Amino acid sequence: MVSLTIDGKQVSVPAETTILEAAREVGIAIPTLCWLQKVSPTGACRICAVEIEGIDRTMTACNTPVKEGIVVATQSENLTRIRKQIMELILVNHPLDCPVCDAGGECDLQDTCYALEVNRQEFAAEDVNPPTIDHWPLIQQVPNRCILCEKCVKVCYEVIGADSLYINAKGDRAFIDKHLDRCVFCGNCVAVCPTGTMISKPFKFKARPWALRKVPSVCTSCGSHCQIDLNVQGDRVLRVTSDDEGTTNNGTLCTGGFFGYGYINSSQRLQAPLCDGQPVSWDEALGQVTTAIEEVLAKAGPAAIAGLSSPRLTNEENYLFQKLFRVAIGSNNIDSEARYGALRALEALDDVLGLRGASNLIGSIGTAEAVLVFGADPTAEAPAVDWKIQEATRRRDGKLVVANMRQINLQHYADSFLNYRPGSEIELANALCRLLLDKGLADEDYLNLSVGNLDELKSHLAGVDLAQAVAATGIELEQLEEAAEYLGTAATVALVFGADISKSARGVEKAAAMANLAILCGALRGEAGGLFPLDEKGNMQGLLDMGVYPEGLPGYQSYADDAEKFGAAWNAQLPNGGLDADGILQGIEAGRIDFLYLAATNPLSFPNAGRWRKALEQVDCLVVQDILPTEVTKLAKVVLPGASFAEKGGSVTSLDQQVRTLEAAIRPPGEAREDWDILADLYARLTGTPLTLGRAAVLAEVGGLSGLYGDICFVGGEGNRTCLKQPFRPAAQQFKYRPVSGADSGAGLQLLSGKSLFHFGTTTTWAPSQCELVPEGRIAMHPQDAAAARLKDGESVKLSSASGTAYGKLQLSRTVPEGLLFAPYHFTGQGISHLLPDGSNRTAVTVSKA
Amino acid sequence: MAQLVFSSWGREIVDNRRGGDGVTEIFQKKLPVTFDGERSMAAFMGWDGLIISDPDVDVVAMAAEYAKRVQEDYCCARCSPGKKGTRVLQDTLARIVSGQGQEQDLAEIEALAGLLENCKCTLCMTSAVPVLDTVKYYREDYLAYIRGERRAKPAEYKVKLTAPCQDKCPAHIDIPAYIEAIKDSRFDESLAVIRESMPLPAVCGRVCPHPCETACRRKNVDSAINIMVLKRTAADYERQHGRTPPMQPKARKGKTVAVVGAGPAGLATAYYLALEGYPVTIYEALPEGFGGGMVAVGIPAYRMPRPILQRDIDIISAMGVEIIYNTRVGSDISLTELKQKYDAVLLAPGAHRSKPMGVEGEDAGYQGFLAGGIDFLREAYMGKPTGMGKKVCVVGGGNTAIDCVRVALREGAEDSILLYRRTRNEMPADVWEVDGADEEGVQFQFLVLPKKIVVDDNRQVTGVECVRMELGEPDDSGRRRPQPVEGSEFIVECDTLIPAIGQDPELNFITGESGIEITRWNTVVTKFVPQKNAAGRDLNDDMGNPLSRILMTDMDGVFASGDAEIGPLTVVACVGNGHRAAKVIQRWFEEGEAYLTDDDFHEDILSHLGVYDPNEQVAWLDAVARFDQHEIHGRERAAKGNYSEVELGLSDSEAVKEAERCLRCYRVSMIAV
Repeated sequence: MVSLTIDGKQVSVPAETTILEAAREVGIAIPTLCWLQKVSPTGACRICAVEIEGIDRTMTACNTPVKEGIVVATQSENLTRIRKQIMELILVNHPLDCPVCDAGGECDLQDTCYALEVNRQEFAAEDVNPPTIDHWPLIQQVPNRCILCEKCVKVCYEVIGADSLYINAKGDRAFIDKHLDRCVFCGNCVAVCPTGTMISKPFKFKARPWALRKVPSVCTSCGSHCQIDLNVQGDRVLRVTSDDEGTTNNGTLCTGGFFGYGYINSSQRLQAPLCDGQPVSWDEALGQVTTAIEEVLAKAGPAAIAGLSSPRLTNEENYLFQKLFRVAIGSNNIDSEARYGALRALEALDDVLGLRGASNLIGSIGTAEAVLVFGADPTAEAPAVDWKIQEATRRRDGKLVVANMRQINLQHYADSFLNYRPGSEIELANALCRLLLDKGLADEDYLNLSVGNLDELKSHLAGVDLAQAVAATGIELEQLEEAAEYLGTAATVALVFGADISKSARGVEKAAAMANLAILCGALRGEAGGLFPLDEKGNMQGLLDMGVYPEGLPGYQSYADDAEKFGAAWNAQLPNGGLDADGILQGIEAGRIDFLYLAATNPLSFPNAGRWRKALEQVDCLVVQDILPTEVTKLAKVVLPGASFAEKGGSVTSLDQQVRTLEAAIRPPGEAREDWDILADLYARLTGTPLTLGRAAVLAEVGGLSGLYGDICFVGGEGNRTCLKQPFRPAAQQFKYRPVSGADSGAGLQLLSGKSLFHFGTTTTWAPSQCELVPEGRIAMHPQDAAAARLKDGESVKLSSASGTAYGKLQLSRTVPEGLLFAPYHFTGQGISHLLPDGSNRTAVTVSKA
Repeated sequence: MAQLVFSSWGREIVDNRRGGDGVTEIFQKKLPVTFDGERSMAAFMGWDGLIISDPDVDVVAMAAEYAKRVQEDYCCARCSPGKKGTRVLQDTLARIVSGQGQEQDLAEIEALAGLLENCKCTLCMTSAVPVLDTVKYYREDYLAYIRGERRAKPAEYKVKLTAPCQDKCPAHIDIPAYIEAIKDSRFDESLAVIRESMPLPAVCGRVCPHPCETACRRKNVDSAINIMVLKRTAADYERQHGRTPPMQPKARKGKTVAVVGAGPAGLATAYYLALEGYPVTIYEALPEGFGGGMVAVGIPAYRMPRPILQRDIDIISAMGVEIIYNTRVGSDISLTELKQKYDAVLLAPGAHRSKPMGVEGEDAGYQGFLAGGIDFLREAYMGKPTGMGKKVCVVGGGNTAIDCVRVALREGAEDSILLYRRTRNEMPADVWEVDGADEEGVQFQFLVLPKKIVVDDNRQVTGVECVRMELGEPDDSGRRRPQPVEGSEFIVECDTLIPAIGQDPELNFITGESGIEITRWNTVVTKFVPQKNAAGRDLNDDMGNPLSRILMTDMDGVFASGDAEIGPLTVVACVGNGHRAAKVIQRWFEEGEAYLTDDDFHEDILSHLGVYDPNEQVAWLDAVARFDQHEIHGRERAAKGNYSEVELGLSDSEAVKEAERCLRCYRVSMIAV
């Protein structure tokens, strides 16, 4: 500890603390303008100048570390004069357009001038500011309002890693410019701007800050669940903000969080229930649904009824959904898109490790000494995970190993990039496991303690052929050794894997390979690091927790074993068996399923979407509960308009097991209703029990039956307080290494489908901002492949596979290797998911001019 | 000769405007009387004041131009007082010069100068110093402008941005910029800045004697910034992250260049010419895998790992430089042939011939007496038999001698002994190298002078007869001169004796008919622009060479650089020299004339003046001590066959913290001609 005196007060702080932080410890506020806690100190504004005894100049408190015994003065006549005069200089040629400036009312420059009583101007100079920059999408830059604090530049580079913003030109002509091609449009530059320099175009002139109502909420664009404030006026969300302090995301948002809200206000929103395309009353719509269900029940029994739910719905809604089906209808034919991804990861991790989700908090990635990102693009799939990976590797000297078949943004910061061939994931993971063991890099004591089948682990790894792995993955042995070295010598490791693993055809085995690798590299050992299966969808963890799949009940209880227990609690006889998504699809095709209920989900984004489309056309009665019109709502007999996350109450569970609550910030449009309300109404109608199932009652029941959420402080009132489910504490020898092997490389030109950086599921295809950035799904192709096929950048092409066809424009890019295309799936009309075979994210394709 | 009119340099005021002949040492000795050998230096304005030697200089107009250039060309805008303050300063001075000024503007200039003391770095802050001096000492001139009695006449100014470290660096790397980039964790950007003047960043990040650090202003607060290791950090970052160097050479041009020797000078010249689009072919006497000149065969792998050196060389090759190995110019191909085949030839053969020691028996061909330190290091490096035994004596006190004793251990010597005729304090070797040898178990014998080689009947060395020395009066170098103590002869037993007292260039390939002149120190003579100071003396560099050399030999189209031109010096000096050669060759190609630019002259003038002032009182809180790089310790690091790198650099976060210690001491120099 270092002791010093500030304004006569003694303070003792850890070494490397700055004078500014030390002063705050003893309640002394030093004025600042450019200081931003989450980035490195800049020292640009010079307002925080202080005097130190014996030092013949002022020092800036924000970037001067403390020293033993120093005597600091933060107030003096001299300092007041300096601060005022510097403010006067900052204000030279600052426009007096505060009345129409977007920052008016929340401007740090205004506040600081006011606090320092800067009320005159001695200085004058020619105005050499460049003109306003208007040609950037979504963000406007007004250079004459800029005080060059560099907060935007630093957050862009240090936190987001985009490295898009920079200072252009010299002297007073200097302004913040942008490498547009690097911008990820996360909006953090707007969020941190202390003045009205960086402006959100979608928000500009929409409202004065003081006229906005800030409602604490959770961003459910992905599973990171950043804590946000919905800034609303009337029944419109006008912007999304997030506080740096007191949030797990430190106020940082991604493009989905910052700009993606536009779909909420879309004029296309479903506002009234529809029957056969015609608006009807809720009573009639729900009556029709009830009647249809009762008819099928009478005619074919509950087994002819099926439903798919959604990670867009809250925990309570998913709970109600499964209960509606299992109790009110008597069918266990319920599933979701998790079948094609998250459930595979769950099966493997539960089997090998006894783990259901991530093993640790996202924040613990930030302190890991090494991070392995395997078959994931965290920047797209879970941006908050990306930020923590960058914290670990860029701020804390951690090593980053990226294993991916294509280049991802994070690869830029990787110490090791394992660019494996499509389908060789298991061989790569096994090779790393073997090298960790062979080189003595695995912690033997830990393995003895934690693994139940160590002999099997060792004999399996002894059989792993490194030469074969090199041939299969296309990665040199030295590179594999280097990566193993990074992972093996780190005391703490975070392993992040994503869609390329869990959504691929052999997802369960690949996820098991990840679990094995997590054991070998010690990712499950401690407070830092951990194992993080990513799924891009907002409440995927909550969906799984609530048991919306035929094999499981809420709280990961086995349907086969525990159905009786739940039946007793629910006062019902639960049905036997149950179809999963594949079974439901086959059932419709075979004419065994007559009624399908889609709750906030669009199967046209599932693999082999063409097959799904036919099934949806074929099924007797299709009921769709959603918020926006899709091709699926067009096929529906009954459409029930639901609510977006901004319009409903409920809880959601993040990818790192934190439960947070949503409160309705605005009302759903028109007659649309909160989804849980719709489900509860149907439940009441079908059971004949009057509706008494309020949200609190649902929560209590979830708590009691799931065993997962029992001690969670569900609350109203205080808003989105964060609560953690039980931490992962594996028992001794709990881990069961699962030998897996083999590749699924596939012949010919391969197409991989996945998530775009700028779109989130299918909803953001209705968000004007996201569509301004990416109005359609571009198909990335290596220039060599394009040249061979005589195709050019931007050309419209037709893609064909064994399953179907799709159309889109080409984007020539070296982010994909030769022989591999990448296409985002979000724009269902484009048909990318039609190309994919059942349950897979990759297929052989041919490309031709459209 | 030139007369001093006014000087406020270094806060020492000499004012001869109303008569008098006061002088200052700076004016008399440090500055040349002309800017470029022709145009006289009328005035010098900079961070420490102004020096006026022409009474007709319009000091007010010069100050206005100075402020303008600082604001418009150099101010980084990264702090409020700098960005805005110098703009207000510029406009205020411009207003005065345009006749629109008022007397109160002078007070505002003073107030601004005070505010600029709160700047983030010293660029804008020090720019106020000469401006304030003009207001203070040339007030009447200002008032004349304000009263409308004067109009500015056209004048020519030369402006240059410098910094104490950058000035001291023989390659003039923009050190504050590359450190600033590391402060911001922008390692790529840092490396890009380094590469503008240093194409061997991984090398000079490791083995540079870093003269820059002796001119670091942070030294005046506590200790110098670890400038060298920060360079290594930037270079290693690119390599470790597998990033491709971003440089793209310009479109290929027609004229071709041959370079003799793939050492630092040759590689540097080749790199910068290749970037400009000129195809370069380097002829290297050693086989492939041993490029790098003295960096390779003179610096052991535990200091400069071969793969890392090779990467720097490969990057240069990738710019369009062909290296033809195993080809010695003089025997495999003649200089005349090169001259015929290529449009220009650069001679950069280095200094690879060991100097004789002058002891009895050194020419007798005894077993165990090795030709020289540099030869020993080369053989060891190339994995050839060195002829070394078990008990090795190395004679000398420079870095090569230290390298020899440390390599001897790694080659399996049981005893490795260094004989030096002065004491440890006088050793020219870098202190950290001597300490490194100490840690590894090298035995030192100071104040001994070898006199005679002792051999047995088989003509095998068994020892060396030495005489003890004592230190007498200081010699020219300022070091006390060693003198033998009579009757103190004694024998140091050894089976191997290696002289390592210096190297000379091997210039036999330059034949008489070429007309290329060679100095008596065996270096190549190149053309230069003579510069004299006010006292009438020639201005030379630290090696005694003329200050501003054009680097073309007496043979048209044949240039020289590196150790063979400067005299044996350092990697960084060779790189700086090679870079200038590249620029001169380009001018010769494109303009038909080999000449120095204003910027070259300005650079030389500043380096002779010296931007660093060891006596400056630097006010700063010394809260963060210097970060030194990690190192492998213990004798095992020098075990037989262990050439693993001993120094390990800094972690990225340590490098950022070290960079944050930098005071960014930019200064702007302006000369009126």
